[in-house]
Amino acid sequence: MALMITCPVCGPRNGYEFRYGGEDKGPRPAQRELSPGDWFQYVHANDCADGIQKEWWVHRDGCGVWFTTYRDTTVNREVPPPEEDA
Amino acid sequence: MTTETKSAIRRVSPVCFAAAPGESEDRDGWQVVTRYENEGEEGPWLVDLSHRPRWDVQDGHVDALRPGGVSVPQEAGQCRLQDGLLINRMNRTQAAVWHLAGATDGMPAEAAYTDVGEATLMLALFGPQTLRICEKLSALDLAGLQRRPPFLVQGPLAHVPCQIVVAQRNSGDFGGGILWTCSRGYGRSMVHAVLDAGREFGLRPAGEQRFTDWLPSLSSD
Repeated sequence: MALMITCPVCGPRNGYEFRYGGEDKGPRPAQRELSPGDWFQYVHANDCADGIQKEWWVHRDGCGVWFTTYRDTTVNREVPPPEEDA
Repeated sequence: MTTETKSAIRRVSPVCFAAAPGESEDRDGWQVVTRYENEGEEGPWLVDLSHRPRWDVQDGHVDALRPGGVSVPQEAGQCRLQDGLLINRMNRTQAAVWHLAGATDGMPAEAAYTDVGEATLMLALFGPQTLRICEKLSALDLAGLQRRPPFLVQGPLAHVPCQIVVAQRNSGDFGGGILWTCSRGYGRSMVHAVLDAGREFGLRPAGEQRFTDWLPSLSSD
């Protein structure tokens, strides 16, 4: 079954309309006293979760909105937010 | 027959049909074909509306704006058609204004407005079998049986990101009408794809007059 993603503006759509934007790593770290190591970790290091992870997506072929959603990487399906994040 | 009015700027539509124009006129710098030879009487038809003014409206309080005296729809995906002016709500802060009747008193001075008429193309596909043609061009649910036309769908048509307005849906013959815009660079490829998809249904290019005749049949929201 093809990946479906739920756009907050357009609703559920075919995954081919979207572009993956990477893991959601929280807010950008403060620039002041930011070490190169910490910046490297923020930009390049990924958790690559085996299971549910929060991700950025953009509705590239549709409304163009950026948003976060949850995906189970083991089955490549969008899933509801875990209880602690809901 | 060709009529001309003076204009300092030459504007060129990104859409080109391989059909012989029957009547055309020079309007505000655009060469507008009002009728093609061999348009047929039954339809469906494909009409180039790239010369019709189009505005993008972006504002944190877009609900408060009244382009052309018409209020902006409240929710994304909703459209409002009034006096030939179509307003499409795109998202929380953005709407598109299409002057389907062509007339405009000029763009408002507020910074929220941007004229996108020369950045995009605009086409209309209407007549019998229109929704069958759409099904060949897109996986989007343009029949949208749960929604009442006019409504907006933002998504790919012929694999090109478009703003698509389903303006009319007829019961029985899969007929109706859609209008859409996309970046003008896709003009030739888009027309080629749509005409190719519509060939088996008798789709032909038509002049602006067909659209002008069809426009009054559209219902508002």
